[in-house]
This record gives sequence, structure tokens and C-alpha cells, in this order.
Amino acid sequence: MSMSDMRARRGGKKAFLFNMIIVGQAGLGKSTFINTLTNHPTIPKRQCDDPAQCTLEKTVDIQAYTVETDEDGMKMQLTVVDTPGFGENIDSSTHFNEILSYIEHQYDDVLAEESKIKRNPKFQDSRIHVLLYFIPPTGHALREIDIELMKRLCGRVNILPCIAKADTLTPKELAAFKMRIMEDIAVNEIQVFDFPCDENEDDDETMQENLELRSLLPFAVVGSDDTLLVNGRTLRARQYPWGIVEVENMKHCDVAQLRSVLLSTHVQELKELTHDVLYEAYRSEKLSQLEGLAEKLAELNMQAQEQQPGSV
Amino acid sequence: MATNTKSIGIANLPNQTHKIVSRKGTTFTVMVVGESGAGKTTYVNTLLTTTIKSYRDHSKRRDALSRKTVSIDVIRAAFDENNFATQLNVVDTPGFGDYVNNRDAWQPLVDFIDGQHEMYLRQELQPHRDDILDGRVHACLYFISPSGQTLRPLDIETMQKLGSRVNLIPVIAKADTITPKDLAAFKRRIRDAINAHNIRIYAPPVESETEGVSERNQAMVDAMPFAVIGSEDDVVTPDGRTVKGRQYLWGVSEVENEAHCDFKKLRNLLIRSHMLDLITTTEDVHYEAFRSEHVSTDGRVVGSVARKDAKFKEEEDALRRRFAEQVKAKEAMFRQWEQKLIGERDKLNKDLEHEHSYITALTQEIKQLEDKLNKK
Repeated sequence: MSMSDMRARRGGKKAFLFNMIIVGQAGLGKSTFINTLTNHPTIPKRQCDDPAQCTLEKTVDIQAYTVETDEDGMKMQLTVVDTPGFGENIDSSTHFNEILSYIEHQYDDVLAEESKIKRNPKFQDSRIHVLLYFIPPTGHALREIDIELMKRLCGRVNILPCIAKADTLTPKELAAFKMRIMEDIAVNEIQVFDFPCDENEDDDETMQENLELRSLLPFAVVGSDDTLLVNGRTLRARQYPWGIVEVENMKHCDVAQLRSVLLSTHVQELKELTHDVLYEAYRSEKLSQLEGLAEKLAELNMQAQEQQPGSV
Repeated sequence: MATNTKSIGIANLPNQTHKIVSRKGTTFTVMVVGESGAGKTTYVNTLLTTTIKSYRDHSKRRDALSRKTVSIDVIRAAFDENNFATQLNVVDTPGFGDYVNNRDAWQPLVDFIDGQHEMYLRQELQPHRDDILDGRVHACLYFISPSGQTLRPLDIETMQKLGSRVNLIPVIAKADTITPKDLAAFKRRIRDAINAHNIRIYAPPVESETEGVSERNQAMVDAMPFAVIGSEDDVVTPDGRTVKGRQYLWGVSEVENEAHCDFKKLRNLLIRSHMLDLITTTEDVHYEAFRSEHVSTDGRVVGSVARKDAKFKEEEDALRRRFAEQVKAKEAMFRQWEQKLIGERDKLNKDLEHEHSYITALTQEIKQLEDKLNKK
């Protein structure tokens, strides 16, 4: 099955709406990665020039940026939500809830819209379809903050873990690091988006593709704002005194595969999972909470009435 | 004062001092502080060209995470180079900065440094002080994550607390993450942040009488914070040299190549040229500051809080081990006694049986004789 056939199966040439949120500590190359992905200076460079200011403790400063992309003929309206400030405090315990609230807020908007009698035809669905979590390249394993974030959010959003600045690690170190991360994810029972494939439903090629992508998890990411001339071609790359790292080179990192996952091959699946599974789960929880509250309220009303027998 | 034009040999004193010092040897203590995965262990092992500090045991990582503490580990090693003996101590701080909540993570570090000063002070005030154990920290390497941005709140707070107590040397590890252009900007932002927050870092003396040394020292100061790459492995560069470095698919970053990182400068600072200055600054500046606050005018130690530092932990461990050994020895003794008693019992049982069978035999004989008698 060719690329165009797959696209036709997954939704064709309509302009798609796709929302992603990117989470990770400062300096991991999140903005650079997004700009590399969209080939456009989507997220402005965050340079703090006042040394006295930028070390204050803050909340997460959630900001959304929208850009139009065209990947393999597939037009998309991509919204990227950035979360600067995450994990930067001495005590970052409150940051998880800040991000969770944002995601749930988008679900609330859809819930409210669905319940309206007269719906807004121009309603923009801003539910988050995928969360890219950037893990710092320590080479060891997941830290407490990584585990906590993914654990708390995996029930509300599809998570794709990525190793940031992967050019810090030698190939051997990278392989061992990836293995330990996936072990930690399994032990902590974190559900990440692991390219699920169904033997009965999918054909061999799709299954093969998904298994290959699953084996790449977590994706090794390298980003660059600069382009260099390498062997006569202009490429996005990073220049070191000892060599050049090419962002699009599949031997150097996994950006090429990640880009096709995020901008063409798995867009539909991520959206479906968000709507059919994650949103539905949130909806039933929320509604049963409201039901529970309504029941309690009714009980309290009855109790109040019983205590005042004279007033009817 | 009379001046003497003939030499009497006083100029030979430095040589005598050299002999005395080289015979006595020295102690040098370095503390390494930084998040897990910052590159501390690799750096220390690269610096000392031996695996003095063991790498993290990943199979135990879940227990470490659940404990949520910052601990102090002291690794001691004896070095002997050209007949000069050095007792080298490396103080590690596992758990620092590793958690979601790192409030007061610097407290155990500060307690340790102050505790060492206090230990020295108490020994110094003793009537007999010829065998003082000196565990004072001479240099503290603070490892900054190579984010490329600037210092974080935890870095600022910790460096402020450390800088006033010990020679603080900020270091950027895993320097092969950052391109040279970004590295220069990063260093500049760190220096600005250090100045803006009044953090005291170690400033090596620049001026020197020897030619060329002043320039070298100035270059050293300009390069701070040092960006280092660590590696214990030998790799082969594309042009055929075998060096200590890291092998990537796109090239080899070399530890000792000054164009790649500042490893050589930091090694010179710590060992080759400024080790003595680090030691004397610790003694003359930091220790004296501690002393003036903690010794009253009649010579007693005041203001010390009972702190649980590494020395006590070591003693505690040693006592516990001795106790366990004694218990084991007693148990072994008891078991031996038990065996002996069992042996005795068996022997006595056997004797009893023997006697019993003898009695039975005799009774039989009597019976036989009686029968015989009766028959007659």
C-alpha cells in the first residue's frame, strides 16, 4: 500500500485540525524541535536576558501557537501548546495539575458544546490529541518528575515520550537509555501511545510499520534552527568541532519518523483515540460526578425539608 | 638591620621545606554536587584516570527514588605519584536535585562542610594535636545542566549557600551537547546570573612572577565556568589517533582537546597549578571564618548543632558491623557447645546401650545357669 493510499484511508486531503502539547524542562530544545517540525519559526526563541529575573519561581505559562502545514500533500492546521516553566521550580509539585487542568478544560469546552441545544457551527475543537514529553538525556533512567507527569496525564491524553538532545548520547548509551526508560514505563504502569496494532484488523504492512515505530520508543530527538551545507545539500544540522549531526538523517536520530507520525501517518488514529477513548472516559467520569452531586444535593434538600415540617 | 653579603645557606630552606612536605604527603578533599546524570562520576574518574567512583547501579534505582533524600558518600583513595603520597577524598551527593520537590536539598551539603570544619576545630583545641584528621572540603565542583539557557532557582540558592563556605567551582558537564557558539553565550549568561545574585565562586590568583603563567591563569579565569567532557574509554579518531573521548556516528569528541572542551584547564586548576591555593584558601579564609564564629574568647567551641554527618554514619556503621561480628562469634561458640553436648549425649547413650546389652547378656546367662540348676 503506497503512501497516498494510506492517506486516502486515513482521511484524504482535507485540511485537518491537530492539536499537540509539548512538555519538558527548559533548554531541552522543545521550541527548536517544533520549529524544525513545522519548518517555520512557530515558537519564538525564549531568551532570558535579565539574569536577576529568570531565576524566580513561576507557574507554567501555557501558550498556544497555530500554524498551517502541508506534509505529503496533507494540509493541516496544527496547534502547538507550549509549557515553559514546567519543572523549573525548586518545588514543582503544582505544575502537574496546571497542565492537567488545561487539558481537562478543553474537554469541558467540548462537553458544554455537545450539551447545547443550539450548537455553534464554527466551534473549534481544541482538545489535545498528543502530548510530547521531552526527557533530558541523562543516560540513566526516568526521574521522579518524568514518572509523575506521565502517570498523572496518561489517562487524559496520548503520550509520546521523546529523548531530547539525543546527540548527547553515543549509540550504545542511547540504546541502553531507551531500554531503561521503557522498563520504568512498564513498571509504573504508564500507558503511552505505543502504536497499537490489531492482528485481525490491520494488514501486514501496517503491523510491521507499527511494530517498528514501537521499537523506536522513546523517540531520539535532535533539533536545529540552522541549516548547513552538507555534501552539497542544505540540511538542518548541528555543527560541532568534531562533526555534523544531521536532523533528518535516520541514523543520527528519529526525527524523520516522528515527523511523519505526527503530521501524516498517525494523525487520524491519535484523534480517534482522543475522542473515542480518552474524551469518553472523561465524559463518563464527569457526568457521574455531577450525578453523584445531584443526588447529594437532593438528599440535602430532603433533609432540610424534614427538619422544617411546618414550611411547605 | 645588618646585611650580609656572604651567603650562609639560608636560601636552602625551600629545599628543606620541599623534603618535609613531600615526606608528609597531603590530604585533598573535593565535593561534587549536581543532579543525577549530570556527568559527575564520569568526570571524577576521567580526572583521576582511574575508576575511583563506581557508576550508578541501575537495578537499584527504584529504591533510591522512593527514599527522596540527599545523602553524602565519601570515597577515599590513596595516591602515590613520584613518592608523594596523597589521601584523596571525593564527596558525592546522590539525590541532590533529583526529585519533584527539592526544597532545602542543599542543607545536608552545608551541614557536611560545616561539620568537617567543626571536627578539625575540636581536634585543634585538644592538648595533643599531632595526628589531626583533616576532612575539610578544599573544592566544591557544582555541575550545571547543559541546558544552554541559564541557571535555575535550585542552582542559585545552592551556590549562594556553598560559595560562602567553600571554594566553589561551577562546571558545565556533558559539554559536547552544546555547539561552540551556544556555549559561549551560555557561559556568559551563567556569569551574569552569578554576578546578579552575588554568588561567590573561587577566583584563582592570576598574577605570577613566571612569564606565561599569568596569561595561562587569565585564560583560565576567562573560561569559567569550565565546560568539560568526561570519558574513561579510549577511542580512535578519524585521523587515526587514540585518545580518551566519546565516539559518535558523526565524529569523536576528545577530552583533552582544548578546542573541544576545558578539561585540561580544570585539571590544571584542581591539581597541577592551583591545588595548593585551594588548600590554603580553605584553611586561611573559610576555616578561619568558621572558627571566628564558633570559638568564644575563652577558647571553647560554641554554636554547634548536633548534626548527622558522614563521619558519624561511618562510626555508626563500624559499630554495627563489630556488633554483628560479635553476635556471630557468640552464636558460633554456642553451636560448637551444642555439638559437643550432643556428641557427649550420643556417647553416653551408646555406653548405656552397651551396658544394657551387657546386663541383658548377663541376665540371660543367669537364666541359663538357673535353668541348668533347676534341671538337675
